[in-house]
Amino acid sequence: MSKIGVYVCHCGENIAGVVDVEDVRQYAEQLDGVTVTRRNLFMCSDPGQEMIRQDIASGLVDRVVVAACTPRTHEPIFRTTLEKAGLNKYLFEMANIRDQGSWVHAHDKYGATAKAKRIVASAVGKAANLHPLEDKFVDVTPAALVIGGGVAGIFSALELAKMGHKVYLVEKQPSIGGAMAMLDKTFPTNDCSACILTPVMVEAANHPNIELLTCSEVADVNGYIGNFNVRIRKNQTYVDWNKCTGCGACAEACPVRTANEFNGGMDHRGAAYIHFPQAVPKKAVVDMSVCINCAGRKLGTEPRISKKTGQPVLAACEKACPSGAIDRSHHLPAEGTLRDIEVGVIIVATGYQVMEKENFPEYAPDSPNVITALQMERLISATGPTGGKLLRPSDHRKPRTISFVSCVGSRDVRHHTYCSRVCCMYMIKQARLIKEKYPDIRIFMHVIDVRAPGKDFDEYYTRARDMGITFVKGKVGGMEILPADQVRVLGYDVDLGSNIEVDADMVVLASAMEQPPTAKLLARKIGLSFDGAGFFKELHPKLKPVETAVEGVFLAGCCQGPKDIPDTVSQAKGAAAAAAIPLCQGKVRIDPTISEVDTEKCSGCGICTPLCPYNAIVLKTYSGRPRAMIDITQCKGCGVCTAACPSAAILLHGYTDVQILSQIAALTRAA
Amino acid sequence: MQTVNLTQMDKEGIAEKVIAMGGEGLLNCVQCGACASVCPVARAGFSLYCKNLIKKLQSGYMEEILEDSSTWACQACNRCTEICPRDVKPSEVVFAFRRIQAEELAISTSAFTPLMSLYETGHAVYNKRSKELRKKVGLPETPPTSIGDPKAVAELQKILDDSPMAELGIFLNLMSRKQEK
Ligand SMILES: Cc1cc2nc3c(=O)[nH]c(=O)nc-3n(C[C@H](O)[C@H](O)[C@H](O)COP(=O)(O)OP(=O)(O)OC[C@H]3O[C@@H](n4cnc5c(N)ncnc54)[C@H](O)[C@@H]3O)c2cc1C
Ligand code: SF4
Ligand code: SF4
Repeated sequence: MSKIGVYVCHCGENIAGVVDVEDVRQYAEQLDGVTVTRRNLFMCSDPGQEMIRQDIASGLVDRVVVAACTPRTHEPIFRTTLEKAGLNKYLFEMANIRDQGSWVHAHDKYGATAKAKRIVASAVGKAANLHPLEDKFVDVTPAALVIGGGVAGIFSALELAKMGHKVYLVEKQPSIGGAMAMLDKTFPTNDCSACILTPVMVEAANHPNIELLTCSEVADVNGYIGNFNVRIRKNQTYVDWNKCTGCGACAEACPVRTANEFNGGMDHRGAAYIHFPQAVPKKAVVDMSVCINCAGRKLGTEPRISKKTGQPVLAACEKACPSGAIDRSHHLPAEGTLRDIEVGVIIVATGYQVMEKENFPEYAPDSPNVITALQMERLISATGPTGGKLLRPSDHRKPRTISFVSCVGSRDVRHHTYCSRVCCMYMIKQARLIKEKYPDIRIFMHVIDVRAPGKDFDEYYTRARDMGITFVKGKVGGMEILPADQVRVLGYDVDLGSNIEVDADMVVLASAMEQPPTAKLLARKIGLSFDGAGFFKELHPKLKPVETAVEGVFLAGCCQGPKDIPDTVSQAKGAAAAAAIPLCQGKVRIDPTISEVDTEKCSGCGICTPLCPYNAIVLKTYSGRPRAMIDITQCKGCGVCTAACPSAAILLHGYTDVQILSQIAALTRAA
Repeated sequence: MQTVNLTQMDKEGIAEKVIAMGGEGLLNCVQCGACASVCPVARAGFSLYCKNLIKKLQSGYMEEILEDSSTWACQACNRCTEICPRDVKPSEVVFAFRRIQAEELAISTSAFTPLMSLYETGHAVYNKRSKELRKKVGLPETPPTSIGDPKAVAELQKILDDSPMAELGIFLNLMSRKQEK
């Protein structure tokens, strides 16, 4: 006969304020197998746990039921209590009389108490039939995958690499760097973005533990924490990177002129091009979607031999490359090449995109002088389309008046309800940089309010006012295109209590940061979920900010929500620390409350295999007959197979028939 | 209010002028409104007081507000300056603006009496009846200031005669009145 201890928790007033806890305790006393019943204000407190420990130590109880809150947060605590007292931790059952009792029946004290008794009786019924279970462990593959090579991904990779872990850093662009590589200077210190980022990019590329996989994407993810199998697609570059030295000769020779995305489409690049001057790795790629196959050099064909010279006639890029890295005679597959890697953990750091101006018909998107703030970064950057000179796009003349418009697509139910968090600060930054260089340019900042909550941020904003930058409280509602390429900004000044207009030579839209649509595909492959704003969802907004619902998968940077570089780097380092835990432990625990096939009973009918939502069951030959086998690392213990098996050959540990039936019996019998 | 075209406003030099005239904190104001909440001028319902005067000056208003006599209602109580979280010293901006108004002879007639009193007694506000009161509580009839000290008043008048205030012509009037007597 089992000796069951029942411990009723008051949870302060949370339970005791509604449920008559003493009545519940007395009721438990007379239940079959119960040897001890006690109450405490907080069972999870040290004295509460000590009570359980002593009862176990003195041999009074060998099964424990705690009638309290939710097992989601508290089961691990009490299991540890049992373990410390030398009892198998699976000889524990929790009766949730708070979430399912006092909280939902706050208006009905009598009913809540009666229900609490039933819940306790059911837990006691199950406890009497509990068996000891043992945790299982599997080895962790000692490597990490970081998806996205922005500043978040770079720092996560570097942290893990420095701890001694192997890291694959996958970036879809030809170079790592992300959005930060496009920025001119960075608030709140105004240090040059490239100057602080490039050394870190180089460090990541040179680190012996980091394998940089650029122009690459994740094609497929299988497995679980500790053992993920990931298929990586290296997209076709049409340049042999083993030979390419990044000299840029092909880019210069290429006759094609297409919009250069890196410079916000404000200048041109060739079909053969290098991502940006400080690219890491600095390698050329050929963009086949715009390549014109010059000299008739279609891919995979032998070159024509010139009648005049007797030499092969090559495409401009081929001819220009001094190291023979481009050879169009090869038939290179457009879909690139696949490679499978195994890793123990994954950090997702895929960043954000900014909304383009075409989304805002009210803000004169047809005017070339209306640009996004990210375009402005390129326009004032020394490596940008104008070499750092501020010239307005329409006529390459210096603007005299600039309006900055805040909250474009943010804090707006028609687009995104959230605040993008960095726009106020980068608008102030751009305004200050412009004012410093060109004090005669008049700058108007149209804001709903200024949000400058970081370290040194409000001081940074105050300085902008001192510099003579005008802040106008009130959101811009419209724009009109004026002659001479000007734009009339229609606003309201809350403080003047009056409509205002600004005839601007240029308008900068602080457009919202958002999750790119490609994130959906990746989420499906990994099993990530989204929050209300469309960003990847963390496991808990406060206490598990870098973890996700998929064990072993972590988040860093703007893919989890808009943030600035200081916050991005902090989160990246936090994600690396969290991801390092399984790597350092070397093993991951497998919960024993999963299903197991009794091979003697199994008839090998195979009904269960297609039902398992986690593909955990395969039919294997066992003594010459097919038998279902469950992979313990894949099974989540959902119980679908157990219920479906016609031979009752599958046992779900922790939820056996006897255990469940004893609960039902107790529930239906209880007074 | 009509739509204001901020680019067409003649903003050139206005902030600089106010700053030069003593309103040094003008650009620091974030329009939080704390100064107005305690300002007797605002509370009495005048049209121009610390907060909105500052906003207008920041936006390049001058001609439009020059003739507004509300600023002369400022009691120099300095509550605005004590409360301002940005150290704008709003009362200094009000005074800077009054100096500009005075330069343009946009002075309220209500300001004449105190100015004349200043010239005559060294006090902008001096209550002659205070003599009796002081006597009653056992104080000397005149306080130990310029009141009982014609030499000090003469020195003060010399300073005022040499100051830009003399150009207002108020003191000239007083002189001739005295001479008539
Ligand atoms: C106009 C503007 C100015 C700013 N100025 C400042 C400033 O002055 N100071 C400051 O602190 N912050 C500033 N920020 C914010 C800053 O840009 C971000 O904090 C930072 O870039 C976030 O880094 P990240 O790595 O999270 O994302 P990103 O920089 O977006 O990097 C994500 C990377 O992942 C790659 N990627 C995406 N999807 C995949 C995929 N499926 N597979 C492989 N790779 C993928 C992308 O190509 C990219 O390289 C500014 C932002 C804007 C818009
Ligand atoms: S319990 Fe669930 S996860 Fe495990 S084998 Fe059965 S169906 Fe699959
Ligand atoms: S208290 Fe200072 S900052 Fe606030 S409105 Fe008045 S002057 Fe401006």
